[in-house]
Parts: sequence; structure tokens; C-alpha cells
Amino acid sequence: MLIGIAVYFYYATRTHEDTASLKIDYTVEAIPFIKEFENDYKAANKKYAEKIIAVKGRVTATEPADTTMNVKMADTTTGSYIIFAFQNQHMAEAKGLKEGDEVVIKGSCSDGVYSEILGTYFISFKRSIVATK
Amino acid sequence: MKRTFLSLAIATISMMAFAQKKTSTSATIAFDASTSIDDLPKAENKTAIAAIEPEKNTVQFEAAIKNFAFANPRIQEHFNQKGWLNSDEFPKATFNGVITNPFAVNFKKDGTYTVTVEGDLTIKGKTQKVNTPATIVVSGSTVKTSATFSVKLADFDIDGSPVTAGKVSREPKITVTAELN
Repeated sequence: MLIGIAVYFYYATRTHEDTASLKIDYTVEAIPFIKEFENDYKAANKKYAEKIIAVKGRVTATEPADTTMNVKMADTTTGSYIIFAFQNQHMAEAKGLKEGDEVVIKGSCSDGVYSEILGTYFISFKRSIVATK
Repeated sequence: MKRTFLSLAIATISMMAFAQKKTSTSATIAFDASTSIDDLPKAENKTAIAAIEPEKNTVQFEAAIKNFAFANPRIQEHFNQKGWLNSDEFPKATFNGVITNPFAVNFKKDGTYTVTVEGDLTIKGKTQKVNTPATIVVSGSTVKTSATFSVKLADFDIDGSPVTAGKVSREPKITVTAELN
């Protein structure tokens, strides 16, 4: 009984680790990374979904998202983009970024999906941090 | 003559700006299935895509299921599993609707408007009708929207012991907010 309660308590109170402390599975350049999804999104999702990835690229937009902020790296020739939502404790780093900055952003890649609304691919990241600026 | 031409040009540009589809790639969708016995099953997706086309009164949303971020990693895992949202097979949730009382909003005039939106919500490959009040705030060329409604998990073939045990609400609350430009 006590073991059961302990196990439940462990799982119920567990939170995601700080992305800064997680091992990087892949380091990629933004534009070739987007191209991989455009060329074969199923294969790219199999390779990258739920992996910790460091993406090197140029910030093409910063956008308010409710009370937080997202950062985008887009392929301006096709419109497809990577969008990073940031881990709460690293939000200040994101808010310090501006369009044109060359950065490395590390985060958990959710997946790449085709948007019927925009007619482009979008690759979403969660719990991101600014690795280097 | 010059003045008439200038007025016409300004009117044309204003009309074009009004007619344009307004979009956001950072819309927020909050999912709250918490209950009195479990506060954990709630998440936010801050990278949803939203679009409003004032001329056609259409409202659209798209969200990657895997980008709903839960505080608890185990619940995040469960949420995406086959028995729940099955995000490998059904990676997106979509909404395609219309403003059913378009005369209640003037996209050319700053103000706060309450409208009704009706449309098709597709989750896990199942489509259900949704009808909800929504608030639209027009401020210059920016349009902010927000709406809160509930869905029945059973309507989307989502069930399991946590629902039966009362740890996950049978009718989670969905809150959508977007700033469109």
C-alpha cells in the first residue's frame, strides 16, 4: 500500500526537467531541417518527434502568445517554418531575441504538420531554451 | 482631381486590408480536463494556427496535438497514446467555422464585439459540431479573439479508466485565444 502511494506520488508530482540539462539528440541547421519535413514529413517525424534538438538559424519573427512569446525560423522561399514555445523559466531569454538574430535554440521537437490554412509545413517545439546567441 | 484620386486610392487600400485573411501562428489553445480529484490533466498549445476572413466570416484553427504541453510528463505521454488522442495517426486538431451573426461585428471599426461561431471541430478523425459565443476585439488592423467551450470526450471516441475513475473530466473545457494580423 505504502509503495503504491509512493509510486503514485512520484508520478503525480513529476515535472519536465529543465531542457538546459537534457542531452541533445540532434544538432541541425534550420533551413535543411525544414526541407527534410517538406521532402518527407513522415520520415522526418519518425526521426525527430519528441527528440531534443538544437536548431541553429536566424530568427525571422517573434510573436506574442498569450502572456508568453514564440520565436520563428522560416524558410522564406516556401513559407514553411519552425516555431519554438519556451520553457517558463527560460522565457526571459526568448523575450531578448529579435528578428535577424543568429541563435541556437534547443527544445523538444513535437512534430511537423502540414497546415491547410497556410499551405505550408510548420514544425513545433515545446519547452525550448536559447542555447547560444 | 488629384484629391479624388487620392481618396479613391485610400478607400481601395482600406477595403483590401479589410478583405484580407487575418492569421496567427501563435494562437493559444488551453485544454482543461482537471477534476476535483485530479488537477493534472490540463495543457496549453501556444503554436496553434488561426485565421479569420472578414469578408467571408470564416474562422479556422489548426493545432498540432503533440505540441500540447502538460506540466506532468506521464500525462503528456498518455495524452498522445493510441487510446487517447493517438497523435501519431491523427497529428492535428482542426476547426472550420463561420460567424453566424456577422452583423454583430464591424471589422472596420475598433471595438469589442460578441459573436456566435459555429463549425466543425475535428479531433482524432471524428468531426463534431461546435457552437460557441466568442469575443472579437478590433484594434486597428489587429483582431483579437477568444472563446471558451466544452467538448464531450466520448464524442471523439476518447475513453479510459481515468475518465471512469473521475480523474479526467468527461467534458474538458477548451479556451482559444488569438491575436491575428
